[in-house]
Amino acid sequence: MGLLSLLRKLRPNPDKEARILLLGLDNAGKTTILKQLASEDITTVTPTAGFNIKSVAADGFKLNVWDIGGQWKIRPYWKNYFANTDVLIYVIDCTDRTRLSEAGSELFEMLLDNRLKQVPLLVFANKQDLPEAMSASEVAEAMGLVRLEERSWEIKACTAVDGTGLKEGMDWVCKNMKK
Amino acid sequence: MGSDDLSAGDKILKGFQINYMILRDADTGKVIWQENKDFSAPDLEHEARVPVKILDMRAVSREINFSTIESMENFRLDQKVLFKGRIMEEWFFEMGFVGANTTNTWQSTIEAAPESQMMPAKVLNGNVTIQTSFYDNETLITKSVVRLYYI
Repeated sequence: MGLLSLLRKLRPNPDKEARILLLGLDNAGKTTILKQLASEDITTVTPTAGFNIKSVAADGFKLNVWDIGGQWKIRPYWKNYFANTDVLIYVIDCTDRTRLSEAGSELFEMLLDNRLKQVPLLVFANKQDLPEAMSASEVAEAMGLVRLEERSWEIKACTAVDGTGLKEGMDWVCKNMKK
Repeated sequence: MGSDDLSAGDKILKGFQINYMILRDADTGKVIWQENKDFSAPDLEHEARVPVKILDMRAVSREINFSTIESMENFRLDQKVLFKGRIMEEWFFEMGFVGANTTNTWQSTIEAAPESQMMPAKVLNGNVTIQTSFYDNETLITKSVVRLYYI
């Protein structure tokens, strides 16, 4: 996979720059996903007290992936990074049943923002390797994703720690990138 | 403004710190070089001794981790790779808002142009620098310079 090959597939148009925003509650697995996409070691991942950005350039095209920390005290910062987003990826910890409704309300609240209007949404139902994990369809049901209108969206099951499902999700991102 | 007051730029600088820099093979994600020290001491040049095989890599990613005590409205950086002072690569990147008391990373990966891979290690050795300048709006916060040696 890799971010450079992802960029090749995207070929962002017409401003030659694409922006993916990676959000979700703390401990959802956003940074692990970002590091997996770049084939990096994930054993040292710690809670993000700010943001992590990966920028890749090839053939005159650029891709910027923004991973913003999900801790409660930095969630108010999320809105500062909405502008010019081409795809929103929202990560769910499928073992965290008690905070699923919180994850859902944070998502639906931000989708009201004009800057995210019609931005395609991929939900990663993460941590499928753990026995107590809810399935992707359970999560979609509980969050009420079917309520989303006038927006292309998809939910994909994944296991960030071993990379399972990430390629399928990123393939969807490539096909649905906002033009 | 009284003489005891720090300017906004000085205040930001005082609370700004570069925590580490990492160079990686972008294809494998493997760390080639890492330095954990404060690079924000201005005008101090740092040395990176990197394996000569770095020159055969299709792309090398450069990661910088930094912390800020003050928030910033329009944070941006300018990263240049220079050979004997001549710009080989340049990347402007605007992050915009940066929250108070945050730690953040920016990683850039540029696929090397085939022609820039032609230069032999002995020509490049000690003549390549990576310069990263950090700004809030027009105010220069700090600049880090890393000189590459191929071993």
